[in-house]
Amino acid sequence: MNTHTTPEPREPDDWLEQALRNDAREHRDGYVDDAGFTARVMAALPAAVEVLPRWRRPAVAAIWAAAAAGMALALPGVALDVGREAFRLLAAHPLSLPQVGLTLAVLGLGTWVAAAWTLQRD
Amino acid sequence: MASPPDSDAALIARAVVQDDRHAFAELVRRHQSSVRACLRKLTAGNHALADDLAQETFVLAWRHLKSFRQEARFSTWLYRIATNCWLADARKRKEELLGDAGGDGDDEAMAAALGEATPDHARGSALRMDLERAMAALSEGERAAIVQCYHNDLSHEEAAYVLGMPIGTVKTHILRGKQKLKLALAAWAPQA
Repeated sequence: MNTHTTPEPREPDDWLEQALRNDAREHRDGYVDDAGFTARVMAALPAAVEVLPRWRRPAVAAIWAAAAAGMALALPGVALDVGREAFRLLAAHPLSLPQVGLTLAVLGLGTWVAAAWTLQRD
Repeated sequence: MASPPDSDAALIARAVVQDDRHAFAELVRRHQSSVRACLRKLTAGNHALADDLAQETFVLAWRHLKSFRQEARFSTWLYRIATNCWLADARKRKEELLGDAGGDGDDEAMAAALGEATPDHARGSALRMDLERAMAALSEGERAAIVQCYHNDLSHEEAAYVLGMPIGTVKTHILRGKQKLKLALAAWAPQA
């Protein structure tokens, strides 16, 4: 027993106290051989969750940005053509205010869901 | 020249921050002996059960390592988990036994221990065996308090943390446990 809190037995005939102390001493002195115990524990641990390195996100963003810039430089006319065609389609198709509102709501919801999903994954 | 071994705190930090399983394995290697010995004492020498509970203890420690706030020694924290595992298992076993037999199991076990403590035993290891038998007959709280304070050499405050009970209750458990042990081992008392 911890000597800071429990003094040695005062009575010389306190045989139980002595027996407990002797038993405790033998208990502490004995070493339980590992005998594969640590390996069994490590095998029983839950599977490791893949932890992505911190540099991964900016690296991916940089690669995509570089790819987009490369595409824009390599095919300068394509982006302009796509934009022009999209504008022509939208201008030819008259939209009512509720349709515009609905489109904005759908786009907002999509953005919010994507952001929430990304944050949850992190 | 070999570098000094990492402290428990350094290994815990590596295990938590870097998910370093090698660091945790080193912690298991370092503390397995004391945890298994403690559980062997609590389970009254049932080595297989003690090892199962020790394995459960370390798996739980791994899962909750992030919540370890260093307010106690790592070994004390492990004792706390181990004792909780043992108590949960003991309660489960008691519930299973209650369906089979009535009566107070502790009293019956104590009576058995009393009957077996004869003065004809050889001294030394025989006293140890009788002590182990008598310890097994104590209530869970009494046994756990004695094992933590004597065998694991914890202070009353540390034992209270491990057992999740007030210091006064720990002291009461030790006092009552020792009274019961004295009674069960009366044959070993030196004649006046």
